[in-house]
Amino acid sequence: MILAIVKKELLQLRRDPRLIGLIVVMPLVLMMLFAVALKLEPNSVKMAYLDEDRSFFSNLIKTGLWSDGYFELYEVTTQEAIVEEIRSGRAKAGLYIAKDFSALLTENQQPHVQMYVDGTMPSLTTAMKYNSNAATDEGVTNDMYFLDEDDPNTVIAESPFIMDTEILFNPDEKETWFFLPGVIGVLIMQIALILTGITIVREREQHTLEQLFVTPISKSSFIIGKLLPYVFIGLIDFYFILGVGWLLFDLPQPSSHLLLFALAFIYVAVMIAMGLFISLISQTQQQAMFVAIFIIVPSILLSGFIFPIEAIPEGVRIISYLLPFTYFVEIIRGLLIKQTLLVDLLYAYGALIGFVVVFVGASIVKFKRTL
Amino acid sequence: MIQANHLVKRFTKIKSVDDLSFSVKKGEIFGLLGPNAAGKTTTIRILCGIMKADSGEVRINNNSIEASKKDFGYVAQYFGQYEELSVWENLKFYAEMYGVDDEARLLHLLERYQLSAFKERKAGELSGGYKRRLALVCALAHDPKVLFLDEPTAGIDPVTRKLLWDDFYALSAEGKTLFVTTHYMEEASRCHQLAFIAEGKMIAQGTPQSIKKALGDVDVFTLNTAYDPLLIKAINTIAGVVLTNQFGENLHIVINRGVEKEQLIAAIERVKQHKVVLEETEPDLEDVFIALTQGARS
Repeated sequence: MILAIVKKELLQLRRDPRLIGLIVVMPLVLMMLFAVALKLEPNSVKMAYLDEDRSFFSNLIKTGLWSDGYFELYEVTTQEAIVEEIRSGRAKAGLYIAKDFSALLTENQQPHVQMYVDGTMPSLTTAMKYNSNAATDEGVTNDMYFLDEDDPNTVIAESPFIMDTEILFNPDEKETWFFLPGVIGVLIMQIALILTGITIVREREQHTLEQLFVTPISKSSFIIGKLLPYVFIGLIDFYFILGVGWLLFDLPQPSSHLLLFALAFIYVAVMIAMGLFISLISQTQQQAMFVAIFIIVPSILLSGFIFPIEAIPEGVRIISYLLPFTYFVEIIRGLLIKQTLLVDLLYAYGALIGFVVVFVGASIVKFKRTL
Repeated sequence: MIQANHLVKRFTKIKSVDDLSFSVKKGEIFGLLGPNAAGKTTTIRILCGIMKADSGEVRINNNSIEASKKDFGYVAQYFGQYEELSVWENLKFYAEMYGVDDEARLLHLLERYQLSAFKERKAGELSGGYKRRLALVCALAHDPKVLFLDEPTAGIDPVTRKLLWDDFYALSAEGKTLFVTTHYMEEASRCHQLAFIAEGKMIAQGTPQSIKKALGDVDVFTLNTAYDPLLIKAINTIAGVVLTNQFGENLHIVINRGVEKEQLIAAIERVKQHKVVLEETEPDLEDVFIALTQGARS
């Protein structure tokens, strides 16, 4: 008897080709994706530098940092600009070498070199600190000793210069600061994608859609009416989770409440628009759920939420930038932790608005007021 | 009131609705009759605008479907109300979809369909008969001129069916036009006008009386006998026999006029080995239905 039920279940599954596709294809795609994507060894981490010394010795430090491919250096014009580059997210680290570096070096005065690392992502911060040791490698420092070794009065310093490392934005490297903002996005994604993902399929499955389509309601009224409640639910949820973060986990206040609200609203809108589209392309609630999971899992892994974007190979990074969650993570960390300015987040806001337009547009095209 | 001209609807290659034309007058109960998969539901969905015809035109109250949405109501074959909502919430919802705000009238509707006692009951918890009534009440919320009912009494007990039909007559007497699909003969015979379709094609149209003539010149005989497969086989081999149909202890035999009654009796007596009496009767709608369906399929 058990066997009969097993057989029946399998037969039923087999008759739903889309679901089969999702069951087989989804793990395959995700598997391939993550096998390639998650190396967890970032490279080409952007480092903004200002070298006022411009000497043979300061070049040694830069080439030392550049040599193993971990850091990718680019020049800015002021010391403040280095911090701004990190705040905006264009750079994850910074290096400042003062004008008197080589002068002090030759006088055996142990000059200081300023290193900045972004503390938003503690795991990346640790890795960056570790990799910045390349600057103080023997290969770099060997040629930096200017001592008269015969002079009995000199003590050979362990290092010809001192590297000061300053952790910006999350100096205590709090993991909750790093995770919590992203968690809000994950929760909203789950709620909105799944709730709206099944909303229309459900009415179709339960035959209520047929009854509804007979009424004089217009396409747009139907869609707006269907989605508005979820916009409210999404927004309330957003501030609820954020409130918990503020109360219990000492999460910092945003640089701008208006921008935060804009983010909440636009992000909820993206998720709901995506959910709507899923609902329109799915035949059953099961299928809709699977499609939602198909979006949620890569979002969590490829968005920079857990692993730094820098750790994702260039080719796969395209997928990261096709996921709305990636932009959300960037904006919310910018607003809450780095106090990033609007100018530097505009492109991410723009991308999210773009997603809304694309999915709402696709839904309008796809949605027909007939069965 | 309803005018359909040359409706065609294809699903893949098969024409589910194949050049259907008919017109329904105000206050009429019009029955769309046909076997399963004849295209009844597709036709009624096209008339309601929830399915697009590939070609052809529908006019309701001399308007396009879109323009006449407030003039008609529709009850689908499946229960399409919200199971989680109460009877009253469902009714209010449909009323609001049409901008109707007349609570007194809605309450009166509940009363008329014996739903007042279940006002706060969740729709999903109603029995089959009451679900039908709720669906009907929701379709009537905006007081439509035309009501489309897709198999309104499928799976309903005879008593409830009679009550519903009494009400359909009442609605018709109030001047509402009813368009009903069915494959129940008993239900079909209650309609003022019938259209018989099979495989998407119009086979016959007219009153239940006149539609019986669609079989052409036939004689119908009744033979008092228990079900006997050998006998039915023997009768069906006679040229000119249109149909045999067993009703309990009676066998209806429909034959083309011109076939000798004696020839039929002889064939029966050969199987039965005793004298039999054949009584001549009127074809009933079921005979016509089966014969026409078989004709359309062969």
